[in-house]
Amino acid sequence: MKLPASLYSRRAFLNGLIGGWLAALGSAFISPLLKYIVPPTPEPDQVTVPFADYKDMAPHTVKGFAWGNKPGLLQRTEAGEYVAFVGVCTHLDCNVSFVAEQRRFYCACHEGWYDENGLNVAGPPPSPLRRLSVSVEGDTLIVKRQG
Amino acid sequence: MKALGAWIEDRLGLGPVAAFLAKKEVPCHRHTILYYTGSSILLFLGIQIVTGVLLALYYQPTLAEANASVVRIMTEMPLGWLVRSVHSWSATFMIALVFAHLLGIAFTKAYRKPREATWLTGVLLLGSSLAFGFTGYLLPWDELSLAATKVGTNLPKALPVIGTWLTQVMRAGDDVTGDTITRFFIVHVSVLPLALLAILGVHIFLVQRHGMSAPLEAERDKIKLPWLPFWPNFLLREAGVWFVLLGVLLTVAVFLAPGVGPQADLMAPAPEGIKPEWYFLFMFQTLKLFPARILGLNGELIAMLVMMAGMAAVLFLPFIDDRPFERKGKVITGLAWAGLAYAIGMSIWSLM
Repeated sequence: MKLPASLYSRRAFLNGLIGGWLAALGSAFISPLLKYIVPPTPEPDQVTVPFADYKDMAPHTVKGFAWGNKPGLLQRTEAGEYVAFVGVCTHLDCNVSFVAEQRRFYCACHEGWYDENGLNVAGPPPSPLRRLSVSVEGDTLIVKRQG
Repeated sequence: MKALGAWIEDRLGLGPVAAFLAKKEVPCHRHTILYYTGSSILLFLGIQIVTGVLLALYYQPTLAEANASVVRIMTEMPLGWLVRSVHSWSATFMIALVFAHLLGIAFTKAYRKPREATWLTGVLLLGSSLAFGFTGYLLPWDELSLAATKVGTNLPKALPVIGTWLTQVMRAGDDVTGDTITRFFIVHVSVLPLALLAILGVHIFLVQRHGMSAPLEAERDKIKLPWLPFWPNFLLREAGVWFVLLGVLLTVAVFLAPGVGPQADLMAPAPEGIKPEWYFLFMFQTLKLFPARILGLNGELIAMLVMMAGMAAVLFLPFIDDRPFERKGKVITGLAWAGLAYAIGMSIWSLM
């Protein structure tokens, strides 16, 4: 069947074509842009520190180390073992401190508390402090991601 | 002289603009004082641009130099302490006036038809002003600014799907580091100014396009209000207000210059008594009060959603309050007072 007039004008067709091209071009530029603005900052798989620095810790004390860009907290237990936490509050990411007299971890930002085992006990934190696994090999102390 | 004027007019064709300003009218009524807030914001914006450029001459947005360069500005650069103090206080004055401007317009319902788009651009300007405050707060890189930025950039994380990515974009990675300083600086001195000036252009154009809004009652009862010519009568009165504000600003800036805290340490615990800038205090207090879990749901997510709902309600106020003369309009005014009381109450509580 031959139509007496086109249903689609040449102008409308070209507008759609050029518009579509521009949209495709624009979206093709967006993906590399979005990739570029987030730099890769992988968390370390493990961190090693000289054991000598941590050997003489008394039980129920905590000493810091650098877990990548975050503070790590190494704690000596009653039994003399070492436990490590990522010293960052699970509420809104502030660095926590260990209050030795109360044997609890404290976040000053919104008054969050964790017990000695890193369990969230008061205030807004939704989950326990993240644990890291600790092992001693010769004179180095190795802290690794858990699991 | 006349020939020069004609020569310029032939090339720029600004005659209609001058003619428009010459016959612009400002209605006089008991809320006329609210008209002064807009131009006073522009005064402080101008001061921010000038002092901001001056600070950027010496500020260095890197992990090693950020705090030290601010200390240098404060202690070694001639009058550097005053430039920084004026920048800091002028920011506070500007944001206070932005709030006053917004509240004045909200409670006189000046956003009603046909000024919805003016309101939308105004709320976007409020958002940019707060973003200026948030990004500027980190730049001195002391203990408080680090903790405040960690909290602020962690908030989006609670959102599903894009939350983590948003946090990474703001922080330049998973953590707040030296890269975050550089990023915040560039946003503070380049991205936000471009955005703010573009939106401000539209905002001011729309204000001129629709003329000054008259009070609700005058519009309903079709009262012809007395008026002042904008040029030169009203502008002279505004200039008087600017001089007073400028005097107050300089006095406050000279006698209450802000200090710089010790350089931020990424590994140190958050300091006691951290507080964001005063205009974020009500959100800060709200976050503190929300429990970790509400009916088995993540409390932080709920707090975020409540705040986002509040922001959306403010943004779309003209469309929600679409019958300002009727009962619905009165109910919305009541809710707005309640919201304001909440924000003020929470802010005071957080200071106690």
